[in-house]
Amino acid sequence: MMTYIVFILSIVFVMSFVGFATKPSPIYGGLVLIISGGIGCAIVLNFGGSFLGLMVFLIYLGGMLVVFGYTTAMATEQYPEVWVSNKAVLAAFITGLLSELLTACYILKDDEVEVVLKFNGMGDWVIYDTGDSGFFSEEAMGIAALYSYGTWLVIVTGWSLLTGVLVIMEVTRGN
Amino acid sequence: MSMVYINIFLAFILSLMGMLVYRSHLMSSLLCLEGMMLSLFVMMSVTILNNHLTLASMMPIVLLVFAACEAALGLSLLVMVSNTYGTDHVQNLNLLQC
Repeated sequence: MMTYIVFILSIVFVMSFVGFATKPSPIYGGLVLIISGGIGCAIVLNFGGSFLGLMVFLIYLGGMLVVFGYTTAMATEQYPEVWVSNKAVLAAFITGLLSELLTACYILKDDEVEVVLKFNGMGDWVIYDTGDSGFFSEEAMGIAALYSYGTWLVIVTGWSLLTGVLVIMEVTRGN
Repeated sequence: MSMVYINIFLAFILSLMGMLVYRSHLMSSLLCLEGMMLSLFVMMSVTILNNHLTLASMMPIVLLVFAACEAALGLSLLVMVSNTYGTDHVQNLNLLQC
């Protein structure tokens, strides 16, 4: 069963995406997006990317979704809409869950699916081996290379963030 | 290619359709945009970790930086709409009448 853990996590990932793509009131959508961020982090962690998974929690959930949360709290309504309070939302939610379960059953029937490319089930828990990488983690070294090989990338992203801040200040100036 | 990609592609397509079909709030479409960014991040990280593309590991972080920029811009536009009309309902954006 543990060999299927990544596949099960990805099914729960899609189900939580159904939860906010059917668009209940934004506060509940934000809550479900936090859950799906946590599950996405778990998927990345299962392939060995510990730094990238923690980046999801820190930057994505802790930075971006907190901003979304208090902006939603600013512009919300008195009776927010849940999934069961509106028939269209409930129907879309149940349709999404059922189609995901049917897709999962079709995939798990035999271990191979061919849509445009050939997907097989071995790649979930075993990774292509390209030799020994020593005692360091490849992903952490690759991210650390952002500051040596990717200096120009750091300059461009820093400048675009500064420009973004200036653009936002101009947009929210009003009048 | 591993089987988890099918589900991540499905998640991306779901958020894309959720962003394109409006209901009442503009904020829901912005949340679906964030969902698209999350599924792209997971897809990119899984590909890079599976195929040992070491130097490409900086790409998901750069993607997060630009996603943060775009989320902040979308939120500032939503704040201006909410300041003008009181709520962020999509039906308020009706100046273009054609």
